[in-house]
Amino acid sequence: MSKSSQAAPERLARWRPDRRMNRRRHMDRLATWMSVVAGAVLVVVLLSILWTLLSRGLVGISWATLTHGMGPPGSGGGLGNAILGSIIQTSVALLIAVPLGLSCGIYLAEYGRKTNYFADVVRFVSDVLMSAPSILIGLFVYQLVVVPWGHFSGWAGSVALAVLAVPVIVRTTEDMLRLVPTAMREAGAALGAPRWRVILSLCLRSARQGVLTGILLALARVGGETAPLLFTSLGNQTWSSNLNKPMASLPIAIYQYAGASYDDWVQLAWTGALLITFGVLLINIAVRLSARR
Amino acid sequence: MSMAPVPRSSKRQFDFDIFFHWLFWGGAFVVLLTLGGLIVLMATGGWQAFTTFGLSFFDRVVWNPVKDHYSVVAPLLGTIVSASIALILAVPLAFGTAFWLTNIASARVSAVVGTAVQLLAAVPSIIFGMWGVFTIVPFIARVLQPFFNHHLRHVPLVGSLLTGPPVGTGLMTSGIVLAVMIAPFMTAVMCDVFGSVPAMLCESAYGLGATRWEVMRKIIVPWSRNGMVGAIVLGMGRALGETMAVTFVIGNVTVVGWSLFAPRSTVASLIALQFPESPAGSIRLSSLMALGFILMLFSCASLVLARFLRGGRK
Amino acid sequence: MNVGLTTSPENGSSADAEAALSVRDLNFYYGNHHALHDIMLDYPARQVTAMIGPSGCGKSTLLRVFNRMYDLYPGQRATGEVIFDGMNILERTVSLDILRARIGMVFQKPTPFPMSIYDNIAFGVRLHERLSKSDMDERVQDVLTRVALWNEVRDRLRAPASGLSGGQQQRLCIARSIATRPEVLLLDEPTSALDPISTARIEELLDELKEEFTIAIVTHNMQQAARCADRVAFFYMGRLIEVDTADRIFTNPRQKQTQDYITGRFG
Repeated sequence: MSKSSQAAPERLARWRPDRRMNRRRHMDRLATWMSVVAGAVLVVVLLSILWTLLSRGLVGISWATLTHGMGPPGSGGGLGNAILGSIIQTSVALLIAVPLGLSCGIYLAEYGRKTNYFADVVRFVSDVLMSAPSILIGLFVYQLVVVPWGHFSGWAGSVALAVLAVPVIVRTTEDMLRLVPTAMREAGAALGAPRWRVILSLCLRSARQGVLTGILLALARVGGETAPLLFTSLGNQTWSSNLNKPMASLPIAIYQYAGASYDDWVQLAWTGALLITFGVLLINIAVRLSARR
Repeated sequence: MSMAPVPRSSKRQFDFDIFFHWLFWGGAFVVLLTLGGLIVLMATGGWQAFTTFGLSFFDRVVWNPVKDHYSVVAPLLGTIVSASIALILAVPLAFGTAFWLTNIASARVSAVVGTAVQLLAAVPSIIFGMWGVFTIVPFIARVLQPFFNHHLRHVPLVGSLLTGPPVGTGLMTSGIVLAVMIAPFMTAVMCDVFGSVPAMLCESAYGLGATRWEVMRKIIVPWSRNGMVGAIVLGMGRALGETMAVTFVIGNVTVVGWSLFAPRSTVASLIALQFPESPAGSIRLSSLMALGFILMLFSCASLVLARFLRGGRK
Repeated sequence: MNVGLTTSPENGSSADAEAALSVRDLNFYYGNHHALHDIMLDYPARQVTAMIGPSGCGKSTLLRVFNRMYDLYPGQRATGEVIFDGMNILERTVSLDILRARIGMVFQKPTPFPMSIYDNIAFGVRLHERLSKSDMDERVQDVLTRVALWNEVRDRLRAPASGLSGGQQQRLCIARSIATRPEVLLLDEPTSALDPISTARIEELLDELKEEFTIAIVTHNMQQAARCADRVAFFYMGRLIEVDTADRIFTNPRQKQTQDYITGRFG
């Protein structure tokens, strides 16, 4: 029997969902709703974090907060020395981590292909370091630097941050160099360029955008770290740019002030939290913008 | 592994190729040394505690700075339980959000929320701790805990799990804070793996009349199972080792008990709080190092597991 | 499954045959890009209709309208009518799961699901029917036999489908599509990723399948269209230029553009 000549009710029946299909649709709707709820919960929680930060931190932002050093409660102290300490320590950390991370990443990408077991081990070790709890990095640097020197220091804090930054730089450097086409290396070699020139002048140059991104990401990661600084640079209430002495830092100041029972200290903690979060977010946004280009 | 040798102009010249090879190798070697040093220093630091307490380091429930007797049970249990709570809460949250972002939400919503989630995965962990003190702790102390205490007091098992002093800090609070901290990260990774499923595969399933959920459950999830499990394990690693987010909200009491709402402590929070009070060379410091060593083993194990499940890199 | 008897047996004058799909005034847009212009076309039941034309001419787009695959992507929309079994399937009220169960699709590249050979076939069937184990076994064997794959895979039905060769995978995908017993089969360049021997197999298969299904096939390969199709539609720049029996299109096309294309002067 031809279909077009069939009676209308029969045709409608073919288009009507049966019980099985209705059940499947209910299941689909249920799953959709639950996933929307999950997404909404996550969005609300994240908004709540931003709102808490803004509502509690924004009132404390002033010129004095940024320029005055930390002081006893009620003395109108600020976070100036902590901000300076953070800038110094992260800068020194990057000065240590960038050459180290770059050379390790270059080694893995350019010399460590295929059957190089040493490179496989290093790659794995770098990943372990990347996911190691940051407080353990603090303990490690305490044993490595603080104990032999006999005192806490900004150097120790910088080393701890560098240990955190290196694996990030290694990973991105290697990944970016691997994106450089082999043809480029061969073309360089065909022109008679020695291998080191091919790597430094061709590969690294064409991957520099990505490598820079990796360095920025490392900066964002270590900029907000608290735990590894607890036992290394310790924190300092006064202005100090001496890397041989204990040094203040923004995360440590937040940690010390957040649990305090003085209102102006708690306010400083929230202001510091706001500053550090937006600093980290700004770096991440910069990374995204540069990656898009 | 070497390229065809390039003829060099003369022998007198300094061989930059060899110089740079060893320079780069040196960088790699330092990275290797760092982890080696980390593990060795932890192990030697904790050696005193391991030898002094022997087996009792692992089977007694005591952390007593006065009597100088320590065991790892209470903090390890706290770490495992709070990380488990975090996973139980965060995995459905991350999975649901990723499903929503990749399959249901409009392109614009997906782009905005996806970016926000990725950015918030980068927020320093101390922020989550402060947020927890400010929002979760009062909620649990004033609303949830009195409610549970009133209604569940006499229910066996559930009652002992869910009742406790209404202080607001404890395992549940830190579990929630950790969940909020790792959920954005896991969501971002899950979105990536879901997005890597070939479109034609999904279209084939839709072409057979499958609904969105059926495509998700029967095609996308099996296809990206390894990546998802990798994301979950990495999230677990972060929850296990997190210090700052937990220290604010765990309550820091080294005891063991049934209640999920009572103050406890984790390995990382205990190290953060007691390390400054532990003089160099003391058995207490050594116990903390030993705890750190065990935590490092946990971290390595979860990474190995994640890599194994993902079938290596990429 | 009712096998009809109204198909006109000869190749010619198929437009008189009953149409399984009728396209009326169809326009299609990718956002602002107007991809298909006023398409009018009938797909006679139980015949093979091939759609040919240079890349980007809209033939694949048209195919994806028939099972509303474009619904998955925001910004894509169609206006006009596509009549299938008395319904305009472009209506919002049409349930996509039923539509897609009745109109199956096979893609350019083989897309075996990440599961066993058996489960690949059973996947679609389980969506729509509840079969006993033995009925399901029978169905799987039946469709695998019809795509001439049974003898090759009967011993490894539980092995992952990804282990099959490309040609076997594509035949599996066809088996998967016909296992849900659709009325229309859409094939989007089903052999473009296959070697000549696998291609020949699939072309033979089409010949058998058209006894039961209405087949719409998009192809880049003119010989394939000539070999398999009863009717051929030539598309160019989003417009339907000409549709006729395969014989006439390839021997005596009415439009100059068609002639240029089939003689290889462009595209």
